[in-house]
Amino acid sequence: MSTTPTTFTATIDGSTGEFAPGTTILEAARVLQATIPTLCFDERQDPFGACRVCLVGVQGAPGPLPACTTPLRDGMVVDTREPTARRVAGAVVELVLSELPEPPAEHTELAAVAREFDVTSSRWPGKQHEPRPEPRHPYLTLRHELCISCGRCVRACDEVQGTFALTAIGRGFEANIVAGLDEGFKASACVSCGACADTCPTGAITELSLLLLDGPEPAHRPEPATR
Amino acid sequence: MSKNLVELIRRHHEQDAPTALEVLKEAIDAHGTITDDDRREASRRSGLPEATVYGVSTFYDDLLQPRGERHVRVCTGTACFAATGDAHVDALRDGFGVALGERREDGVVSLAETVCLGFCHSAPAVRDGDVIDAGPGVVTRVLEDRARAADEPAPASLLEEPVLTLPGDWSGLRATLASGTTPEQLLEAVKEADVRGRGGAGFPAGQKWGFARSAQGERKFIVANGDEGDPGSYIDKGLMERSPALLLEGMALAGYAVGADHGFVLCRSEYPLSKPALEQAAAQARAEGLLGADVLGSGFSFDVSIVEGAGSYVVGEETALLACLQGLRGTVSARPPFPAQSGVHGMPTVVNNVETLCNIPFIAREGAEAYRALSPGATPGSKLVCFNDRFVHPGTYEVPFGMTVRELCEDVAGGLIEGRAIKALQIGGPLGGILPASQLDTVFDFAQLAVVGCMVGHGGIVAFDDTTNMRDVARHLLHFGASESCGKCFPCRIGMRRGYEAFAADAPVDRANLEALLETLELGSLCAHGGGMPAPIRSLIAHFPDELGLA
Repeated sequence: MSTTPTTFTATIDGSTGEFAPGTTILEAARVLQATIPTLCFDERQDPFGACRVCLVGVQGAPGPLPACTTPLRDGMVVDTREPTARRVAGAVVELVLSELPEPPAEHTELAAVAREFDVTSSRWPGKQHEPRPEPRHPYLTLRHELCISCGRCVRACDEVQGTFALTAIGRGFEANIVAGLDEGFKASACVSCGACADTCPTGAITELSLLLLDGPEPAHRPEPATR
Repeated sequence: MSKNLVELIRRHHEQDAPTALEVLKEAIDAHGTITDDDRREASRRSGLPEATVYGVSTFYDDLLQPRGERHVRVCTGTACFAATGDAHVDALRDGFGVALGERREDGVVSLAETVCLGFCHSAPAVRDGDVIDAGPGVVTRVLEDRARAADEPAPASLLEEPVLTLPGDWSGLRATLASGTTPEQLLEAVKEADVRGRGGAGFPAGQKWGFARSAQGERKFIVANGDEGDPGSYIDKGLMERSPALLLEGMALAGYAVGADHGFVLCRSEYPLSKPALEQAAAQARAEGLLGADVLGSGFSFDVSIVEGAGSYVVGEETALLACLQGLRGTVSARPPFPAQSGVHGMPTVVNNVETLCNIPFIAREGAEAYRALSPGATPGSKLVCFNDRFVHPGTYEVPFGMTVRELCEDVAGGLIEGRAIKALQIGGPLGGILPASQLDTVFDFAQLAVVGCMVGHGGIVAFDDTTNMRDVARHLLHFGASESCGKCFPCRIGMRRGYEAFAADAPVDRANLEALLETLELGSLCAHGGGMPAPIRSLIAHFPDELGLA
């Protein structure tokens, strides 16, 4: 009778390493310094498996597999540049850009992923999310139309902060997120910790102080103390 | 699924708290709308955070709109579409003077879409309150406020000794407990019988049971998936409403084999008669000592709870079903963990389709060999199939695997009405491929149907007759796909919408872009909803390219 080995050997993009059972392809790839783009993944949270941007090729598998939720198997051979996986992941990025009423801001994770896949437009234009700004909080602002339903803010509020002030709403294309009973951060259970803004990959949730940095520099801004 | 929320739910369940979804359903049934006070009440009683409850209240069809004094739900399933081309939907909307998904200003009537009511044998179907009317004249009757409950044909069996069209008499459980058959022996028998799941995926039931049996957990659960959402299928409806004892017996046997002491049936709210039928059968079984503590003095304990969904196709997927059962949004979770490791309340759970479980009493009573002999040379066991109203004899039939589709359509269901010809069939639900008339000699079995891009699926057989426009079929299917997407994975959430938009526009569809979109859905989606929808669209491209308006 075979027993589960204490470590697994896996090869990713030609580099081989030993990993504990339960390690995901994405975790192993990061150890082996193979780059796999992600949108719904945040290492502080349980993997979610929603964005499908982390699809990779696995030798012997019938199709691409999501790196974030697929556990390694002993002897697995992974190709992060496998053409079908990259084609499908790139198409998903195109779909994401097609739902936004404006291109993602340069500094966002989404913009970086789009650059990684060299995606600037979409073959599938269609309905976009309607602008719906929500400025009812002194420190946090939410632009619903930039939300891509990656669930990171909801999970940050649940798994990291334990506040449960956020939820996914709707379904299908109409999915989005709200605070409390759709009453804004301020009236909800939100404790203004900023974990949601910190993890948001599109700038849908931002801290107002960061927003101000994009504006003109205040005249009274102090000089750095030392250089 | 959030581990924190599931743990909250487990602790509140131990205190007999209702789920958030149950409280929200009570609210809309009581006063036709859901207010923030209702949500706060649901939060307080279920123990879930207010935001989480809000998310639940925006997910399910049944909770979405303010209802009029009369809440009319018009079936937009594939059989109703095949019968009228959606003319019945337009007629109700115009007749009532209210848009789909709206309540008329005077508050008298609200009109909603529903998919599907399971009256595919007498399409189109309309639900007025809890009365489901169907067939010719239904629109006029509903508009004149004189809807009447439509008849449902009794299922028939082609087998010498029916297996699945019986009411159920608990003889399999009695035989198992009386003979001293051990749980291990019963599990082995189910494995030997090679019962393939009847809900769509065809996964071997015995293997699933084995995983759950060997998994570690304080408790284990059996869940019967009665969320038969596939438009065109009313097989599990018939089982839950006409043979509820057979299902409960199958669940008890599963519990015995796996080491579970409790089961849940999740039945659809589109079938208002299912929950009462199951509850009545459960009460009778308890009275006879067949459910509850120490079943028939054997030391084995097993009881059931009957839970009703709230309108969502994707809840038929097992992880979404578990979320719904626990009162959460019915979205899909990535596996692993599989339900056999972590299901209801985070405990090892077997999720089997209703028909799958209804096969178990026969195996317990007659043995694996007798079961395998039901369909010589083909998939073991028998299969329930059902036909839409385009056929001369629509209804549910128990058939052996291995007949040709032509035999099923012509000999069993009598061919089409009005002398019409079959243009194409959709078999097994909306994610099944479409079989053109030229391939009717395909054998009805898992492997052979797969060769032609089709599947056994749930067993529903919907005929499109020679008047059907196949571009309308593509639009119909993608409308269903987009409106039922749970919204979790990106390919399905956005891609299904884009597919629908392409076919809804009055313009040619770019073939290369369509093929790329289908690839993205098929290979990128998290579950079979997005992954399966390309199959029928590909069939349409292959067999009816000229009708689709491709460029």
